[in-house]
Amino acid sequence: MQFDLLLAAFGKVMLDPVNFLFVFIGVTAGIIVGALPGLTATMGVALLIPFTYGIDPVRGLLMLLGIFSGGIYGGSISATLLGIPGTPSAAATVLDGHPMAKKGLAGKAIGMATIASFFGGTLGALIMTFFSPLVAKMALRFGPPEFFALAFFGLGIIITVSGKSILKGLIAGIFGLMITMIGFDPLSGVPRLTFGSTELLGGINFIPALIGLFGYSQVFEGIEKILILPSVKSELKNIIPKLKELKGVLRTMIKSALIGTFIGAVPGTGCDIAAFVSYGEARRSSKHPEKFGTGILEGVAAPETGNNAATGGAMIPMLTLGVPGDAVTAVLMGALTIHNFQPGPLLFRDHPEVVYPIFAGMIVAQFVMLWVGLGGARFFAKIINLDRRIMTPIIFLLCVVGSYAMRFSFFDVGVSLIIGIIAYFMNYYGFPSSPILLALILGPMVEQNLRRSLIISHGDPLIFITRPISAAFIIIGIFIMITSYVRVKKAMDLEGQMASVVEKEKVA
Amino acid sequence: MKREDIGIGVGLLILSTWLFWYVGRYAEKTIYIYGPQFFPKILAILMVILGLALIVNALLGNSLKMGNRIDPKGFVRMLISIGICIGYLFLITILGFATATFVFLFVLMTFLKQKGIFIRLFSSMTTAVLVWAIFRYFLIIPLPEGLLF
Repeated sequence: MQFDLLLAAFGKVMLDPVNFLFVFIGVTAGIIVGALPGLTATMGVALLIPFTYGIDPVRGLLMLLGIFSGGIYGGSISATLLGIPGTPSAAATVLDGHPMAKKGLAGKAIGMATIASFFGGTLGALIMTFFSPLVAKMALRFGPPEFFALAFFGLGIIITVSGKSILKGLIAGIFGLMITMIGFDPLSGVPRLTFGSTELLGGINFIPALIGLFGYSQVFEGIEKILILPSVKSELKNIIPKLKELKGVLRTMIKSALIGTFIGAVPGTGCDIAAFVSYGEARRSSKHPEKFGTGILEGVAAPETGNNAATGGAMIPMLTLGVPGDAVTAVLMGALTIHNFQPGPLLFRDHPEVVYPIFAGMIVAQFVMLWVGLGGARFFAKIINLDRRIMTPIIFLLCVVGSYAMRFSFFDVGVSLIIGIIAYFMNYYGFPSSPILLALILGPMVEQNLRRSLIISHGDPLIFITRPISAAFIIIGIFIMITSYVRVKKAMDLEGQMASVVEKEKVA
Repeated sequence: MKREDIGIGVGLLILSTWLFWYVGRYAEKTIYIYGPQFFPKILAILMVILGLALIVNALLGNSLKMGNRIDPKGFVRMLISIGICIGYLFLITILGFATATFVFLFVLMTFLKQKGIFIRLFSSMTTAVLVWAIFRYFLIIPLPEGLLF
């Protein structure tokens, strides 16, 4: 850790008004995106990446980090006011946030969510700042077998993001890897699956694919359903909780922050899992677990601290190893790559001028989020009432512009539209989109390092087992796949049992 | 979702078989043993296995229940919106980005039955001008130009 660089980075972010403005814009845009059900932080970051093309890369990254932090927090606003989570990570916040709103305590719930998000996000960002350089130093010793094993480990995460059907998640992942085969072969330069098209020689561009998966598919679903949401009628009063109330939840927040950061750092787990685990632990260890779900401050503080702490945690594997911690960091990886910065240990060695502002930016974004969240709570509550018939066409436009702006190519717009249509149907038939995103990120890393390793070892696959770090990643990857499979299977079995109990009660 | 899963599984088998055959031609273009055909063939084999697993899973009755079905009217609405978007892409090259965008947004909002013509006009115009200005003057990224701007 180079403290002089860290201090200089803080100075750069806070004292340069333009840099600070970008953080502010990012956080505000993120809160708005997060507050609107149907829009996710992933989508917000994906749609705004094109707006970073023409600006200084550090400023662009500061804005995207702001969207990340603001987006995860913003979901708590609609979770509290409408009972609908604005983002998946706010699903646990509904459990106590919405009951608080029904009791006339909507303002206090949102205030608590804001402070808890700030607390968790700051602690997560601090852990990221001090822990990442250590991990990066270790990763400098990696060779092709280690990078293949790491990518294999990353692809194993597909199981954890597959939702209810692991089989369909794996199919989506393999489909995503197939997409990465299009274009020049990285080792021999032979064009593959281009069918004579010059536009396909460079492969399917990541940003149009991303916009198709998470932008267009959501727009199409929105147009198909034309979601009509209940409007917010309640006034927000007494937003800031009393000091005594904050002291009462402090222990919960500290525990949730540590849980959230740790879970976020495990690739593939994400902010939503961090939120639920934090909520579950808070209830389990509470003196009054029966009060959870009735509308208590602790029930809002725990998940909101956990989910924002996970944002810092998720950045650790992304920055140090080039393996995304969750879907949003996978998109952020794409943003770094577009600006010619390859995430991984070499980023720390060759581009500290990018790494340390990221650390500083994440921490500053939490303070900006606290200020904007508390000050703008009433404004954001009104945003939820925006007509979907106006918002959806505007988002449609942003998808078109975003996919065009990368290479000024209508071909990319077409590719993005096609991928969006495929993703729209995939969602209906139970195929998740996140595995495709992971595969697009990790596919080139898997193929290149697999082939290089086999060339080095003259075709001996034992190279992946005889090198200890590589073996460790493969074993951990297999372990995560097995435990995730068991967890998903248990959840499905439990769901099946509960469904049959409900059926029996109906009949009775 | 049994029928759908079987159909998709068969489709995946066809796709994978075709891929395995098609990439075979790349072997002769390089001296590497682990050449451009190596990884696609591995993926094709994996997809055949997964496709078969999907079919068997469906035949054993383990398919997930279908969630919400696609609403036919909504689906047609979506297709027409895509058609409007394709028309917009042609219009950009004729009218220019800002003008075509205003028309696109207004038409789409009208099609989605947004009430209030002044709100539609205001929202379309403001968004078109704002996005154009941000790209033109702030990001300095060229957007397509046409007869107008």
